Amino acid sequence: MSTEARFAPGDWYAVVGDRVTVLLPGSQRGRVATLWDLADSGAGADVLLDALLAGGLSTLDHFALVAHDDDATRLIVRGAPTATVSSTGGDEILTAAPGTTWAEQVLAGVSSVRVTLTGDGSADHRLTPGLARVSAVEFGTPSAPAAGGSAPDEPAAEAADVAEAPVGDEPVQDAVVEDPAVEDEPVAEAPAVESAPDEPAPATPAAPLQFGSPEDDPTPTGETPAVQDDWSDRDGQTQVGTPHPEFERPPIPGQEIGPDVVAQPVASLVFSTGDVVSVDRTVLVGRAPEARRFASHDQPHVVTVPSPHQEISSTHLEIRPGAGADHGSAVATDLGSTNGTVLAQPGLDAEELKPGIAVSLIPGAVLDLGDGVTIQVTNP
Amino acid sequence: MLDVDLHHGASTDVGLVRKVNEDSYLVAPPVFVVADGMGGHSGGDVASQMVVEEFQRLAESYDPQRGAELVADAFTRAQARIVDYGDAHRALQPGWHAGTTAVVAVLVVDDGVTKWLLANLGDSRIYRIVERRLEQVSVDHSVVQELIDSGHITSEEAAVHPERHVITRALGSPEGIQPDFFLLPLGSVERLLLCSDGVTGMIEDEEIEEILESVADPRDAADALVRAAVAAGGRDNATAVVVDVVGLVKDATYDSRRQLESLESKLGGRL
Repeated sequence: MSTEARFAPGDWYAVVGDRVTVLLPGSQRGRVATLWDLADSGAGADVLLDALLAGGLSTLDHFALVAHDDDATRLIVRGAPTATVSSTGGDEILTAAPGTTWAEQVLAGVSSVRVTLTGDGSADHRLTPGLARVSAVEFGTPSAPAAGGSAPDEPAAEAADVAEAPVGDEPVQDAVVEDPAVEDEPVAEAPAVESAPDEPAPATPAAPLQFGSPEDDPTPTGETPAVQDDWSDRDGQTQVGTPHPEFERPPIPGQEIGPDVVAQPVASLVFSTGDVVSVDRTVLVGRAPEARRFASHDQPHVVTVPSPHQEISSTHLEIRPGAGADHGSAVATDLGSTNGTVLAQPGLDAEELKPGIAVSLIPGAVLDLGDGVTIQVTNP
Repeated sequence: MLDVDLHHGASTDVGLVRKVNEDSYLVAPPVFVVADGMGGHSGGDVASQMVVEEFQRLAESYDPQRGAELVADAFTRAQARIVDYGDAHRALQPGWHAGTTAVVAVLVVDDGVTKWLLANLGDSRIYRIVERRLEQVSVDHSVVQELIDSGHITSEEAAVHPERHVITRALGSPEGIQPDFFLLPLGSVERLLLCSDGVTGMIEDEEIEEILESVADPRDAADALVRAAVAAGGRDNATAVVVDVVGLVKDATYDSRRQLESLESKLGGRL
């Protein structure tokens, strides 16, 4: 499904990330700030759901979550919101039955989703990643297709791909699509997720928004530049296309993609040089470290350490917040340094890091980069 | 920051085939930009000019302590202007679009140390000379680059691939912009080149390296690169900006420590 989205203005909040949108009533302002911080850093549906439930369910009577995957769309509604879904299996309506925790579905081959919160205004504003005040949102096939796409072939091709997708890997999904009585399904799933709020989820403070976010005032700053306009022929060949989904690089098998920036540091690094650095994002350490291909909101910390005998490589070691099983701790990766990195964890024998292999760090661990430079890992 | 003296040169040429130069560039030390516009009737040249104007504005009141933030803001403002401009035109001419690539180099102060902050969107490129070798720093946002990365084609095949002109990120794109940023120590860049694909599409990296290594004056080097691209066929607008760091001060921590040690040993450890 194309993730093109539109909305009708209202008093609910829409927290819109690249692939996940969370809808919350106007009274949930406090949760919105935390969620936006995560959504903006590219967090997935599970991470957002964790944060959403961190404050408990009793104070959260209504919400909706829409997550787009490459070939599936996941919907959760609790309380008032209603989701209308058009897919290859026909149209259906998802609402949470009174008394249930929420209603949840994963659907393949979805062509459009409309989530109605309050009222049924027509959604004709474009919804882009960021925050919006909404009364309804729509994803997918627009009712009035946007004119003037620079690569008209692309979206059509994508739509065709998706239409064929339900051939799908998960038989469960097919069943869900074909079975009109699916509305009972969420009840069965509910107990599994209900335990989540009981777990002491770390409180995530409302961090200030990062620069470069859509909140920035995009006020145009000048007039259109005057250019000569007396030619008739243009043969510029360069065109804008969209990335072909087939060529998106898959993550390393068995490793989840880490969050770029986390709301709270997972560790502190005490350098033998006296520097102290928090691991709330990627930290690069070396003799003259270089940071490559980062986004404006996740600029790595770059720590330069002296190496009079050149034992330390220019970009020697990376330490970043862990993901998946390593969530909540820092992980270190030797970036193929010439002389290597030795890690001594409390209670374990010292080991040499293998280049490119991330190792989870526990408080008290010491990393030795050579030339007398060591890094001690402590609690944040 | 003030210790860094930059010498630079810039050159652009419409080429032999096209009638309009849709490339724009900015040299306003310590801010350098090359933008390669694309689009229909007065689309590309206006779009690339808008990027240059926003970075000109940035250069006029530049604060190197907030470099990354200011560059991101300039991109956001340029994007808003280009999208507005495109929307206004599309109302009259459906299907019309304006967009542009951009490569940017600015000096920033990160953690008290002056560094290069580089950014790119699209298939214009940033190269550096490091240890007397040419190295491409930016990674193109293009269909062929994605095919190369995924192992489907080689870079030789990319040069003749039918989709070699299709870029996947650009200013003016309705999907929004996601520039890639790079932060490099000053000392790791002996010479910097920003150029449009009218240069890299016409001459090989070996020739670029040869010119950047052999032509000492950055103005002559920029001229020579653009002349070579035109001489090789000039199928597209060609633009090059060459920047040299003159009077480079080596990394402060490193040198002071070493000097102290060497002084200490000379004086018999009496310091």
